[in-house]
Amino acid sequence: MASGAAEKGKALVDGSESAAESAARWAREWSTWAMKKAKVVAHYGFIPFVILVGMNSEPKPRLAQLLSPI
Amino acid sequence: MGSAASAAVPPPPPPAQVQAGSLPYGPGLAGILPPKPEGEEKKEEKKVDYLNLPCPVPFEEIQREALMSLKPELFEGLRFDFTKPLNQKFSLSHSVFMGSLEVPSQSTETIKVPTAHYEFGANFLDPKLMLIGRVMTDGRLNARVKCDLTENLTLKVNAQLTQEPHYSQGMFNFDYTGSDYRTQFQIGNNAFYGANYIQSVTPYLSMGAEIFWLGHQRKSGIGFASRYNTDKMVGTLQVASTGIVALSYVQKVSEKVALASDFMYNHMSKDVTASFGYDYLLRQCRLRGKIDSNGVVAAYLEERLNMGVNFLLSAEIDHCKKNYKFGFGMTVGE
Repeated sequence: MASGAAEKGKALVDGSESAAESAARWAREWSTWAMKKAKVVAHYGFIPFVILVGMNSEPKPRLAQLLSPI
Repeated sequence: MGSAASAAVPPPPPPAQVQAGSLPYGPGLAGILPPKPEGEEKKEEKKVDYLNLPCPVPFEEIQREALMSLKPELFEGLRFDFTKPLNQKFSLSHSVFMGSLEVPSQSTETIKVPTAHYEFGANFLDPKLMLIGRVMTDGRLNARVKCDLTENLTLKVNAQLTQEPHYSQGMFNFDYTGSDYRTQFQIGNNAFYGANYIQSVTPYLSMGAEIFWLGHQRKSGIGFASRYNTDKMVGTLQVASTGIVALSYVQKVSEKVALASDFMYNHMSKDVTASFGYDYLLRQCRLRGKIDSNGVVAAYLEERLNMGVNFLLSAEIDHCKKNYKFGFGMTVGE
């Protein structure tokens, strides 16, 4: 991210950064990493999650009904 | 005995004249007698209890009657949707589309891209939890979640996730419903934050406002909307600081016929569009047609062939841009 790179540049130039700045930078990077992982999980796991919830609802449908085309 | 009986029979006395609409008491008495108590009873029936107003429609659905009548899902090509229920609440859907999709372009020419895709979907519909997921052959996922966290608080999530990075979109909505108001808070990707509030002012009139903030583009906006709703008609007005003024009016002529009209003015692009349409809800079919101020004529027919089998026809003709879109399809299952 452009703002992250600028902050890193500033830290290198200054030679030191305060605890608050480093904590904010760590929180931002960690939240971006978490959002990226959450997006991948949601992308691959949402439809299986819906099928799981549906197959466990009452009355329970059979697996053959899930896979057959009729 | 000698008097000659005159031939003329004396006229019968005039009948007592009943004057309809006259005062039951003469004008002279009006000032003396007290007014009739029936008038007061009628006034009390119509007296509005302002502490007990009905709940308004959600802010984003303020124009729903006009949108349902004037903006059907027109398409070009072949469409086939099959919904297979496994359960009262759970169903799978298979959908095939072969045809052209319009790509929005800056120039006046329309760009059509021929596409064919298959979409698999899973739906779970419960009064408290609704999960709808649709995935296409190119990996695009369209997910909608609606969850009742408490009796009045609802969480809605709407997301389109793609394989390519930076093209995904998501929006979280928190809705709180009060006795005669609704409020919603939205968080979206690209640092989008929005909030809106709508309140019933009289049994027929509700007014609301919204604000939003787009983080990445540093843009914010504020809007105002109002809706007047009776059994027979719905009129709405929406004004936004982005320069858009939108009015709509829907008249329910009978159980089967509704007429709708829509007017939109965009101050930034100096664009004015008005459209007028009809919506026939008949036993075996639903026919919607509309004509636009840009000269676009469109129609959409859903014909019920059998229980659960619907035949669709869609047409949109734009002579000015030479854009002719005709589509047909079939929907099996609800």
